[in-house]
Amino acid sequence: MKKLSVLLLVLLLASAMFAQGTKESSAFKVYLITMDQMDQHWVNVDKGAQKAAQELGGIEYKWLAPDVKDDAKQIESINNAVAGGADAILLAANGPNAVTAALKEATEAGVTIVYVDSAANFPAVQTLATDNTAAGTTAGKEMLKALTDKGIKNGKIGVISVNSATASTVARETGFRKAFEGTAFTILETQYCDGDAARSKDMSANFITQGVVGLFGANEGSTVGVGNAIAEAGKNIIGVGFDKSDMILSLIKSGHLLATMAQNPDVMGYEGVKTAYKALKGETVSPDYFDTGVSVLTKATL
Amino acid sequence: MMSALKRPLKRLLAIRGIGQVLTVTVGLILLCIVFGIMNPIFFSSRNVANLLRQIAPILLIGIGQSYVLITGNIDLSIGSVVGMSTMISATLMTKGVSPLFAVLITIICCLALGLSNGLLVSFAKLPPFIATLGTMTIARGIAQIANNNYNTDSIGESAQSFRDFFYYGKTLGLYNTIWIAILLWIVFNFLLTRTKSGRHIYAIGSNAEAARLSGVNIVGTTTKAYLVSAFVSCVVGLITTATSGMGTMDAGNSYELYAVAASVIGGVSTLGGQGLLFGTVIGASIWGVLQNGLQFAGAPVAIRNIVIGIIVVVSVLLDVIVRSGKMTKKKPV
Repeated sequence: MKKLSVLLLVLLLASAMFAQGTKESSAFKVYLITMDQMDQHWVNVDKGAQKAAQELGGIEYKWLAPDVKDDAKQIESINNAVAGGADAILLAANGPNAVTAALKEATEAGVTIVYVDSAANFPAVQTLATDNTAAGTTAGKEMLKALTDKGIKNGKIGVISVNSATASTVARETGFRKAFEGTAFTILETQYCDGDAARSKDMSANFITQGVVGLFGANEGSTVGVGNAIAEAGKNIIGVGFDKSDMILSLIKSGHLLATMAQNPDVMGYEGVKTAYKALKGETVSPDYFDTGVSVLTKATL
Repeated sequence: MMSALKRPLKRLLAIRGIGQVLTVTVGLILLCIVFGIMNPIFFSSRNVANLLRQIAPILLIGIGQSYVLITGNIDLSIGSVVGMSTMISATLMTKGVSPLFAVLITIICCLALGLSNGLLVSFAKLPPFIATLGTMTIARGIAQIANNNYNTDSIGESAQSFRDFFYYGKTLGLYNTIWIAILLWIVFNFLLTRTKSGRHIYAIGSNAEAARLSGVNIVGTTTKAYLVSAFVSCVVGLITTATSGMGTMDAGNSYELYAVAASVIGGVSTLGGQGLLFGTVIGASIWGVLQNGLQFAGAPVAIRNIVIGIIVVVSVLLDVIVRSGKMTKKKPV
């Protein structure tokens, strides 16, 4: 019994010294906290963050994520990071409000907060995310270019989106419409499919009957419906969409969709760690919002 | 049969609930004329073919909801069963399961949900609104868990025959989806109007206690109605998978309400005991024509929702007025 307690005491002292030791090393501890672990999106954020940590050096980087998307679990992850001696947290907030109390505690403990992908209602050094309006405009420009290349200068264009309440897809739609300002194209009333690819297919088929020259899908389901409708009609309609999924890529390969806008999660992770590093070294970080942009995926780039 | 040949009109008018069906049929024709005048494309062969294919899934879920409404209950799980069906079938196919086998497994899963609906309502005597609200969330959860909370990948080239069978293929010039709806309508209309089980469905909806006293098996009959509802929802889910070539977790969102709309517009009473599946055809058609025609008219979604909402309310109001009028004249049988 005595031996055991002595052993425990030694272990405790050793670990305390070890902990002290790491604390004294100049490495910054940076934690990435995402919504869950499984989504390829988050895996790519992590890859980008790892890359930046390696390039910069002097960073002890760790990805900490709940197994499933859950507010309570995300709060737990934040608390664990703070307890683990984090200097900075890169956070993809589940929702705008659920985690703010945990973030307040974290900043009081001296932790620097950087948002990646989605921000919460709490001040942070920087938010690195996709500017959906700009991304929508990029999609519109791609379509406009393809139409111009085909010698089409006017005509009707159909838009399929999720619903009128989802901020990200509404912004994409607004951006898309902006790209056609001042042209002779008419953009028809947006149709909402609730993200259901089958309903998007029906709506797209109706648009095709109306004689549209182009179709735009604002998310995965909408885009798949657009592609399937163009595939069935066998007409030369320009289909442009959003998100990168197996089904969308196969529709691009078969030539039924021209392009899809894919977010750049790796850039969020990479630039996010760089931002955290800068802030920790006391340098000023600007701007508050960093648009990580979208990559335009076409048959040629696949 | 003989009298049907002699006096078809009189026989037709004698069918209970035919009044509203005829009224809404006139409404449907007027609606088509208006949309046709507004936009000549409406009657183009291409649009008519598309339109019929768009009506087919609404008709199918409408049949299911009508069965349940006639028993005096409601099925709120329809949309989620559509989602569950599409996610289970698509996930299985992406994992290399043959389409036929995937379809069988999907049907079994959906029927199991229908069975629980029926038993919860009739055996455990839960209010149908609550029981099916619960199974609605459960089925949506199953849809989400089927592929680990993601939409599925493409069901692939090997499933092309499946996609043609349920959606893209044509038989005798009509899309297969339309044939599926027609055939199932014939089967379920026969079961409802020409069999003992069918009469029992009407009986428990009119007066459950009287039906029970005259020896009708309430649990069995109610469960049959919910099984029909789950089955047609399952078929719509399979059509959805075929349409998209993948499974989306959000598929079938709020379809249960479309099904209620198709039923009540077609004169199926939400109070139970009354309704004709012919009316459901008209109700589903009105719904489909409105969706299609208003898109061509370029109506904003908000306006469309308001128009459809008004039509649903007016239809039910019509039912209530007609019923209360009948009550004073003669006792309903």
